Amino acid sequence: MAAFTLSVNGQSHTVEAPPDMPLLWVLRDRLQLTGTKFGCGQGLCGACTVHLAGAPTRSCVTPVSAVGTQRITTIEGLDPHGAHPLQRAWIETDVAQCGYCQTGQIMTAAALLAKHPKPTDRDIDAAMGENVCRCGTYLRIREAIHRAAGQRKGVTP
Amino acid sequence: MTSRREFLKVTGAAGTGLMLGLYLEAKPRPGEMPPAAFQPNAFLAIRPDGTARITVPKAEMGQGVRTALPLALAEELDLDWAKIEVVNAQPGPDFKAMQTGGSTSVSTTWDALRRAGATAREMLKAAAAAQWKVSPAQCRTEQGFVLGPDGRKLGYGALAEAAAKQPVPKEAPLKKPADYRLVGKRTPRFDGPAIVTGKAIFGLDVRRPGQRFAAVLRCAVVGGQPKAWDEAKAKAVKGVKAVVKVPTGLAVIADSTWAAFKGRDALAATTAWEEGAARAFNSAGLEAKMRTALTGPADDARREGDAGKALKAAAKVLEAEYSFPYQAHATVEPMNATAAVSATGAEMWVGSQSANRAHERAAAALGLKPEQLKVTVPLIGGGFGRRLGTDFSTEAAQVAKAAGGGPVQVVWDREDDLRHDLHHPATLHHLRAGLDAAGTLTAWAHRIAGPAVLRSWIGGQKAPSQAATETNGAYDIPYAIPAIAVDFAEVDAPTPLGWWRGIQVVPNVFARECFLDEVAHTLGRDPLQFRLDLLSDRGKVKFGRDEADIRRLKKVLEVAAAKAGWGRKLPAGHGLGLACHAYDGRTYAAEVAEVSVLKGQLKIHKVTCAVDCGLAVNPAGLEAQVEGGIAFGLSALFSQITWEKGSTVQTGYHDFPVLRMADMPLIETHVIPSPEAPSGMGEPPVPVAIPAVLNAVFAATGKRIRKLPLDQQLA
Repeated sequence: MAAFTLSVNGQSHTVEAPPDMPLLWVLRDRLQLTGTKFGCGQGLCGACTVHLAGAPTRSCVTPVSAVGTQRITTIEGLDPHGAHPLQRAWIETDVAQCGYCQTGQIMTAAALLAKHPKPTDRDIDAAMGENVCRCGTYLRIREAIHRAAGQRKGVTP
Repeated sequence: MTSRREFLKVTGAAGTGLMLGLYLEAKPRPGEMPPAAFQPNAFLAIRPDGTARITVPKAEMGQGVRTALPLALAEELDLDWAKIEVVNAQPGPDFKAMQTGGSTSVSTTWDALRRAGATAREMLKAAAAAQWKVSPAQCRTEQGFVLGPDGRKLGYGALAEAAAKQPVPKEAPLKKPADYRLVGKRTPRFDGPAIVTGKAIFGLDVRRPGQRFAAVLRCAVVGGQPKAWDEAKAKAVKGVKAVVKVPTGLAVIADSTWAAFKGRDALAATTAWEEGAARAFNSAGLEAKMRTALTGPADDARREGDAGKALKAAAKVLEAEYSFPYQAHATVEPMNATAAVSATGAEMWVGSQSANRAHERAAAALGLKPEQLKVTVPLIGGGFGRRLGTDFSTEAAQVAKAAGGGPVQVVWDREDDLRHDLHHPATLHHLRAGLDAAGTLTAWAHRIAGPAVLRSWIGGQKAPSQAATETNGAYDIPYAIPAIAVDFAEVDAPTPLGWWRGIQVVPNVFARECFLDEVAHTLGRDPLQFRLDLLSDRGKVKFGRDEADIRRLKKVLEVAAAKAGWGRKLPAGHGLGLACHAYDGRTYAAEVAEVSVLKGQLKIHKVTCAVDCGLAVNPAGLEAQVEGGIAFGLSALFSQITWEKGSTVQTGYHDFPVLRMADMPLIETHVIPSPEAPSGMGEPPVPVAIPAVLNAVFAATGKRIRKLPLDQQLA
C-alpha cells in the first residue's frame, strides 16, 4: 500500500491503495463515490468515464499511481448543483432507461462540449462511439447533447 | 397449451386476480410512518404533510415501472405528482408476485394499483364529508385535495388521520379514461434526476459499514469444480482477507473490489480443475446434432390440416434452413449481490427480477426462515431476463455465510458475466412452404431444433408446455394457411439457459418472417400485400389458450408501411423490408427497416415501427421501450456466443459486440390509440427488428441472410 493524495471534485483526499489499483476502485471503494460505474474493466464500455485534467478518461484502466496531481472530476462534481446543461438536457430529453451507463455518457459528452461547443452528429458519434448503452438510448443521447449545446429547444447553455 | 402462460407460471409472474386480493388486504408495516399517516394498503402511505409514498411491486431495470405503475395509482387517487416518493417493494408476505419479466409489469398490476388508488380516494372523500357534514357524493378530488360544496377544500395530509378510520369501501368506482389527467400523458422517468447526478443506487453501489468485496473464481468449463488450489498466493495480495469454498467455486474476500479481483487471479494460477463432462461440448458438435434433429422425431406445437399431405400435393415446395446462435444478456452492470449475516438474521441487496425466489433461495442457503432475511431490490443496471436467475443472489448468500458474516458484496467481472450467463440457446430451423399452381400458400412447416430453455429453467424436467414454449413466435404464426405444422426437436446441451429479452420469439420470428418474405418474392408478390392478404378476413384467432386479434396486427402493419413510405423509389443499394408479430397475442408490432448495402457495408438508416399495446399508460416510456427493443434486436445481428471445450469463446465486449451509437438507426414510433387494457412493450419490438432489416437487405442486394450473426456475409 501507498498513500496517494488526489484532487477529486475540488477536494483533496489522501487514500491508502496499492499503486496498480485503478482510479475507478479508489473512487468507488475508498471514497464511496459510486456515481462512476464499473462495466467492463477493460476500457471498452465507457461506464467508468471521469475527467482527468478535463480529458475524458477510462478510470477502470487508469492506475491510481498514474493520476498524480491532475484534477479528477466525477459525475458528483460535474456541477455543484447537479444542473450542468447536459444533466438538464438529459432529463428534458428523458434519455435514461436503466440509467447505469448514463453517468459515463454524460462525462464523455461534457468533455466533447468543452472542446466542441456546437458538435455535429458526426462529432457526437465519434466522441460517444466507445460508450455502450445496452438499453439503446443512443438517439436520445445525441438529441440531449444537441439540446445542451443550444442546438435544440430547451436548455440554455 | 400456451407458452407464455406456462412461462409465467413456472417463473411465478402470473396470477393477477390472486395477487390483487393479497395486495389490497396487506397490512402496512408499522413504525415506518408517523402515527397520523394514512396507509390503506401496502402500496400507499399519505403522510400528514401531504406527501405520498408509493411502493412499486416490480423491479426497475429501465423499463419504467417506477414511473408507469405509480401513474395508475396516482391517477385514481388524484395525487399531486410532485409530492410523490417512490420506493421499491421488499419480497415477503405483502409482495409475493414481484417477478418482473414477460412484458407483464403493467398488465398484471394495472387493476390492483388503480383499485388501491380509488379505494384511498373514497376514504379521503368520506373523511372530508364527515368533517363537513355533507354527503361524500358532494365531494370530489383534485391534485391532492378533497373539494367540497361551496369551494371548501382539505388536503390529503390534513385528512390522513381521519381517512385511516374510515371503513374500506368494497367497490370504489374507477375513472373513465376520458377523465384521466396523468395516464396517457407523457411523463418523464421518475428516476431521471437521480440518474444524471450519479445519486441513483444500483446493486453494485450498495455500501454498508464494514463492507468487504468478493470475487469468485469459477471454472471456465460449465459445471467444473476446483480440485486443488493454493490459498497462500491469493492471501499474498494486499487487501485480501480470506478464501472460502462455495458451491460455485472459490471466493476471494478483500477490502476492495480490485484486491478481490487480483486475489482471484493469483488463485487461478494455482488452481487445478475437475472440468467434468461438459468439456466435450462445442458449437460445431451442437450444430451437427441440431441438423440431425431437423429430420428426426419432434414434439408437435401446432397442427392444422395435414401439412405433410399438403406439401406432397403442392405444385411447388420452397425450403430453407435458418440458424440463430447462442446469445448473452451483456447488461452493463455485471451480476452482483450484497449480503450481511448476523446472529439473528440476514439482509441482502440484490437487483433481482425474481425477488421472491431470490429471497426464498437465499434464505434456504443461509439456513434461515424467509422472515429472517430482509431483501432490498435496488435499481437494476440492465436486466433483459438475466436477473430472473437466482444463481448470483444465492451465491452471494453462500459467500457471506462462508466468510463469517458480512456485509460482503460479490462482484462479477465482465468475463464472469459473459461466461456464466444463463444464455439464450442456439436454434436451427427448417422451413417448408407448399404452393399450388395458382400461387396460393397451401402448407407451412416449421421445425425448430435446439436446447430447451424451459427444461434448463425448471431443473431438468420436460414440461408438457415445452414444445409451445420453445416454438413461441413460430406456432402462433398469424397467417391464414390451410395446413400448418410447427414442432420442436430437443437437442441436449450442458449449458445453463435462461430468458432473454424477446425469448424464443426472437429466433423464431426471424426465421418465420424472413422465410415468408422468400415465399412472397418467389411468387413475385409484394411482401406487404402478400402479408395483408394472408391476414385479411381474420378476426380473433386462438393459438392454444392465447387469442390474437388479427385485425390489430393488420392495422399496425398498414400503419408502419404507410408511415415508412412502402413502395417508394429508393437509391441504388437501398432497400425496405418489413415484418410483424402479435406478441403472446397481446401486443402487436410491425416494423419497416430502410437499409443500404454499399461496398459490402450495411447501414441501417431507419426503422419505422407501429405498435398496439392497448392503452398507453405512459407514451414516453412506451416509445423508449420501442427504441430500446429495436436496438436490442439489431445488436443480435452482430453478436454470438460460441463454445469450445465447454467454455464460451467470448469473454468481453471486444468479442461480444453490442450496438454502438453510430450503428443506431433513426426510429419513428407510431402508437395506435386503443381502448383495450394495457399489455406490455418490453419485448414485442425486439423480434420484428431482425427480419425487417434482413428483408430490407434482400430488397437492397438480392442476398438472403439465413444465418446469424452477419459476420462477413455481405462483404
